[in-house]
Amino acid sequence: MPALLEVSAVTKRYGATRALDDVTFELQSGRVLAVLGANGAGKTTLIRCVTGTTHFEGTLSIDGVDVRAHGRDARRLLGYLPQHAAFHADLTVRETAEFYADLRRASHVEALERVAAVGLADHLDKRVNALSGGMRQRLALAVALLTDPPLLVLDEPAAGLDIAARIELRHLVREQRARGKTILMSTHWLEDVPYVADDVLVLEGGRCEFLGTARAFAALSARTSNLYLRVKGERTKAVRAARTVVMDGAVSSQGDWLVVACGPVEKGPVIEALVSAQVPILDLRVEEVAGGVGRPVEGGGVR
Amino acid sequence: MTPVIAIMRKELADAGRGRWLPVFAGAFAVVALVLCLVQATSGDLGSQGFNRTTAGLINLCLLLVPLLALVLGAGTIAGERDRGTLATLLAQPISAAELVLGKFAGLNLAVWSAIALGFGGAGIVMALLTPLTDARHYLVFVALAGVLATATLSAGMLVSVLSDGRMKALAIAIVLWFAMVLFYDLAAIGLALAFSPSGRGLLVTVLGNPVETVRILAVFSLEPDLEVLGPVGAYLVEELGLRTAIALLAGALVTWISAPLLLAMWLLGRQDA
Repeated sequence: MPALLEVSAVTKRYGATRALDDVTFELQSGRVLAVLGANGAGKTTLIRCVTGTTHFEGTLSIDGVDVRAHGRDARRLLGYLPQHAAFHADLTVRETAEFYADLRRASHVEALERVAAVGLADHLDKRVNALSGGMRQRLALAVALLTDPPLLVLDEPAAGLDIAARIELRHLVREQRARGKTILMSTHWLEDVPYVADDVLVLEGGRCEFLGTARAFAALSARTSNLYLRVKGERTKAVRAARTVVMDGAVSSQGDWLVVACGPVEKGPVIEALVSAQVPILDLRVEEVAGGVGRPVEGGGVR
Repeated sequence: MTPVIAIMRKELADAGRGRWLPVFAGAFAVVALVLCLVQATSGDLGSQGFNRTTAGLINLCLLLVPLLALVLGAGTIAGERDRGTLATLLAQPISAAELVLGKFAGLNLAVWSAIALGFGGAGIVMALLTPLTDARHYLVFVALAGVLATATLSAGMLVSVLSDGRMKALAIAIVLWFAMVLFYDLAAIGLALAFSPSGRGLLVTVLGNPVETVRILAVFSLEPDLEVLGPVGAYLVEELGLRTAIALLAGALVTWISAPLLLAMWLLGRQDA
């Protein structure tokens, strides 16, 4: 599959601060990439770079069209769903859809079809400021889908939505993926990732901290506990036993303690493995950690 | 439909929806008719009635029209920025220059409509009361009011692009209006008294402010008589001749319209949305 979105050494500075620092990745056509990170990690900045609404260093192209050199042409290839769908409040749903259809050189018929497709056909004459947050997001999605662009860029689409609207959003994303769309979406909801994403990019302080498949990310982020075990001698035997349950890199030593990074369902089997190997356990402690992501992981299905 | 036309149409529709267009059109009409009525009741409204009303309206127009256009121009891009819609707009397949141009065109059409409806409507009423011998002067005045609106709208849009919020943009626009319409005259008089500048120096002060340029052009259209024109007008006519002087002033207005607009288009393209 060819890469639809190519991001190479993209850096965005605000004075001395680097909001994005040398971010590089490729997004293959037809895949969904979730961009994760805490507030201020650089997710929205990355999306602004992709939409060409902010200046940056490095190169970024959509289907071979350079965003910096040919921003308008590149934007024809993407539909953008902003974090807070901001429309002109005094326009109706119909007027909004038709206005953006004119900007994107789509027909008014298509605009109204898109609005109907997201379930707003009964609200055409309602003013945008009278819509709920979820309805406004749906209108924004209708606008983003005008002219059927190959790339959808969703900036925190779940922000401010209730559970029902979030589930609905997951369905919409999966539906678009099934239709062959390539999707770049930022989110800080880890729970959404397994439902919608093929690949994951984690940003921290503007830097790429993880880039890989959603499966690799799930395996890494599920390791949420450090199991501390004080064993009586038999250190080599204990390490070997623990490694029958977790990956090699998950086992380390701290003084008398053996430290095993475990997922929620791995703690019991690790202890069981040590007991089976006849390693005497003198003491044990469990430390909950924020998540395994934060360590750079090379490879994966995105690059 | 091109994006520029789509944005222009939206601005025009917004002007109608926002009610400022009919309000200003009504205000212009009322001002013109009241002035005409005052002259009629004072017995002044003879064969020169239309002309006298026009002369009276020029000064009011030089006050009101720049205020309207500067405020409208200043609010447009900064307002989009405040509402968060600027990023949404610029994420569409349009350029910053197209956005500025579309808004400029739409606001121009709206302001010209307000001027045409207000002063034009009043002109029709006045034509029913007075002989039509001076109608040409009145039409030139209406056109000059429109050109002044275009020039000050362009300046307002530059202010809008340079401001990070609508309130800041409006405040700068009001200060700019004060400087252009009230302070500039006083400063020019002060400088003239202090330095006794040459005719060329006075000319520079006129070309440096579109309000002054329109004032001189309006006087040319009404009474190109050396006594009425004042020192700058007299200098222009004597040095350049009437036609060349008008061309020079018109050229200055074209520059006042295009330079801030082009600068606004370029600057918005270099800014982050």
